[in-house]
Parts: sequence; structure tokens; C-alpha cells
Amino acid sequence: MTKPLKRHSEENSEYAQAWTDVVGGLTRVWMWRTMAFQDIRLRYRGSMLGPFWFTISTIIFLLAIGGIYSRLFDTPVNQYVPYLMIGFILWQYLSMTIVDGCNCFTSADAAIQEAALPYSVYILRAVARSFIIFLHSVIIIPIGLLIFDVPVSWGALVVIPAIVLIIINAIWVTAFFGLMSARYGDIPPIVANFVQVLFFVTPVFWHIDFLGKWERVAALNPFFAAIDIVRAPLVSESPNITSWPIMVGAAIFGCLLTFVIFARLRTRIPYWM
Amino acid sequence: MVALICRDLDVDFPLYRGGSRSLKKFIVSKSTGGRLARDGADILTVKALSNINLELKKGDRLGIVGPNGAGKTTLLKVLAGIYSPSRGELISEGRVTALLTTTMGINPDATGRENIILRGIFMDVRPNVMERYIDDVAEFSGLGDFIDLPVKTYSSGMLVRLCLAASTCFAPEIVLMDEWLSAGDAAFLAKAQKRLSSYVENSSMLVLASHSLTLIREWCNRGIYLKDGRIAASGSIDEVIDIYEADFAASIDAG
Repeated sequence: MTKPLKRHSEENSEYAQAWTDVVGGLTRVWMWRTMAFQDIRLRYRGSMLGPFWFTISTIIFLLAIGGIYSRLFDTPVNQYVPYLMIGFILWQYLSMTIVDGCNCFTSADAAIQEAALPYSVYILRAVARSFIIFLHSVIIIPIGLLIFDVPVSWGALVVIPAIVLIIINAIWVTAFFGLMSARYGDIPPIVANFVQVLFFVTPVFWHIDFLGKWERVAALNPFFAAIDIVRAPLVSESPNITSWPIMVGAAIFGCLLTFVIFARLRTRIPYWM
Repeated sequence: MVALICRDLDVDFPLYRGGSRSLKKFIVSKSTGGRLARDGADILTVKALSNINLELKKGDRLGIVGPNGAGKTTLLKVLAGIYSPSRGELISEGRVTALLTTTMGINPDATGRENIILRGIFMDVRPNVMERYIDDVAEFSGLGDFIDLPVKTYSSGMLVRLCLAASTCFAPEIVLMDEWLSAGDAAFLAKAQKRLSSYVENSSMLVLASHSLTLIREWCNRGIYLKDGRIAASGSIDEVIDIYEADFAASIDAG
């Protein structure tokens, strides 16, 4: 608190300044965590169940779709519903991360115009907010696995690094779309539409096997890869061989690319608001 | 060390006119080599500040005067680290408290108490630290039981009082202030001035932009006169105000 938050000088390159910004954000966990909780509290102010409405609507969706599609796909309910459940809950998290991530700067326009906080704080706040909401529906998963008597082995612990990898990707995706949306007002509706279509194209509620020889093409979908690395170990399948490499590659490439874009554009953010 | 230094500082404001913010126009203009939809890449920039040189030390109380659109608020935002200079250098050492608008971090649905914490967050102060100042803020702002009501029920004067009290509850080193204080009543203004001047005496620094020359004359010892984004005059506050008033009178005569 005693140090100046930002310092502009020609001696510091834009990359050094961006790095300071990122470190400043990563070390202020309390700040973006508090902002994220505050966002959620205000979003659900006046509602008794709060974010658990999200949990309830997820359960209703799973029961309705699970009942019908297990018949349509001719798959036993106790096999189909756990598959759908994990896939859909992860999907909700991924889509919320991207759609809400678009607004990470634009929804903080007043603060950006008035306070000199590191810009990465606003990115991490959006990432944290989506993740906290996700945790409210994650509790359905162990309960569902118990109800449908799905055997879970110790090997399922691999979901922990898988979730960490997804969060790393969520950070750069939020930063990337947040920056683009701050500059171009057309981006958020484009992304929202695209994500809506992707739900049907991504093997969330249907099994990738159904595609036959097109399976390998569908496996390149990063949304599938993200879902696959978490879902497969929980339903005693092995993830597609491309899923982990895609996610690791996306994390490395995405973080590097976004850092360069962030470094070059971050000082313009307040002018876009 | 407390210091605020600007060297040859320029700020260009890009004007994103309707067209240049559109992705379609950007793509069309790129794919047609800029012949079609020329406004896609055509970003007009306005020089908001040019060639600003300023050096403030301990105990300096700088008043910024100038007509509307002269760049007063922009300069404050640059000093606060919100806008990056397009060229030149800004060196700021010390904890900066920017009182630029009343609404910083304010959420109308949250209570006064919650908003004090929120304001703290935007000043990089942890909630548990800010908690300790809630009683002090409540007392200074004279809000009484209103502190537990949503801020949207407040009058604008109450909001200003809450914000000023919350922003200044612990001694800032550098205070940057835009003229929003005028929303407070005379009694509160006197109280605020007392609080701020005790900070300023304790080796900190104040930069105040205002149209109220009486306020500036009373609070400041140095001054700059901003005109069209340039420093037209600088020196002691009385000199600067004299030049400003003379210039103002001349422009009325000419007009």
C-alpha cells in the first residue's frame, strides 16, 4: 500500500510494465477475491437461495435432458446421466468464463477511470467470479456419482491438475476477450452467439464415439478437450489422446500471445471506457 | 520520499468515433487495403495535454485553474496513474489518493458500511484494515444510522461526505482532488478542509483543480493555469490567478 501502484516512465518497456501489472494482480488475491464475492452477492441480492438458484436450474436441466436423451441415445440412465452431468456442469463453467470474461473491463469502466489498480485485477476478478459460481454447481457431481453408483478410483485425482489447467486457460481467455471487447463493442454478442452454437457441436450431451470417423476432428475442439480431461477419469474412461496436449498447448500459446497483446494494449484500456 | 514529477508530458486522446469501434469496419478496411470504410482505421487523436513540466515536493499545494476543457481533470488522472502519458515521463513517489469523482467504487445497492470497504478495495486497502476506520468515517461524515442503509437512499451531500471521509480516513501522502467537493455544504467543507490541511501540513501534497478561485486561493500555495492542454502560467497561486483573471477578462472583451 505504501508503494505507488503504477509508474509510467519511458525507461520501463511496455513488457516490463505489463509484467509488473500481472504480478501486482496475482499478489493481490484478497482484492479480486473480495471483488468477486461482492459481485456475486450483489447479483443475487434479495434472493434467498442466491447462487444456489444456479445449482437448482442445473439439476432441473440434468433431470429433464438426462431422462429424455438417455432414451434417444439408447444409453442406460445410470451411465448417461453422470456423463451428461459432468459435461454440462463443466460446459456451464466454460461458457460463463468466456461470456462474462468479455465484460471484465467494460463492466469495471467506472473503477478503471477512477482508480489506478493493476488491470490484471479485473481479469482475475472475472475468472474468480465464474469459478466461485461453478463451485456452487460442482457439489452436484459427487452426489450424482453416489446416486448413480459410479465407481471412482484414486486415479480420478487427476481432475485436480486438470482443473488447474482449465483455470490457467480461463485467465488468458478472459484477458483476451476482455481486451477485444473493450476495444470492439461487437465482440461480446459474437462470442455469446458462437458459444451458444458450440454447445451443440461439442460432445457435452452426446458421446464423441457417435461421430465415427469424424471423432478425431471433433476431438480437436478445445472445449471438448477441457471437458474430457475432467470427465473421462470420473466416468472410468481414458481421455482422448489429444485432450491433454491441446489444453497444455493452449495454455502455453494462449498465455504468451495474450501477454504480448496485453502489454501492447493495456495503457489504452482507460481510453476505451 | 514524496514527489510528483512530470517531464515533457503529452497525452493524446484517441477519439474512437462510431465507425472506428466497429469490428466490421475494421475488417472491411483491412481487407480492402483501407480504400473502403476508411474510418475503420481513421482514429482521430486530440492532444489533451502537451508539454507539461511540473515538479512538486513535500508541502506543495498546487491549484490548477483553467477554463472548461483545458485538461484539468486529464492532468489529475495522469498524476493518479490512470491515464498513461503518450510521451514524456511521470514519476510519482508516495501513496496517491485521488478524489476525482464521488462515485469511485460506490455501489448504490450496497450499504454505507459496505461501500466504505469497497472504496478501500479500490484504494488498495484490505477490508480488515478498512474495518477499523468505519466508526471514524461514520462519525466524520455525520451519517449516523444511515451508515447501514443502501447508498441509493442517500442525498448527494451525504454521498460526498461518505466518500470524502472514507477516502481520507488515513493520512494520504498525495491528494489529488477534482472540484466535486462543492456538493458538500459550507459546514462540511470547513470540516473537510481542516482534515485535509492537517494532512498537507504533515508533509504531504495536494493538487486541486477547481473553478472556485476562492477555494483555490484559500487552499493552495502554488498554481498553474492550464489553457488548451498547455501550462500557460505557473508560479505562486496569487500570480497565477491574476494572470488567469486578466486573460479571462481579455477573452470576454475580445468576444
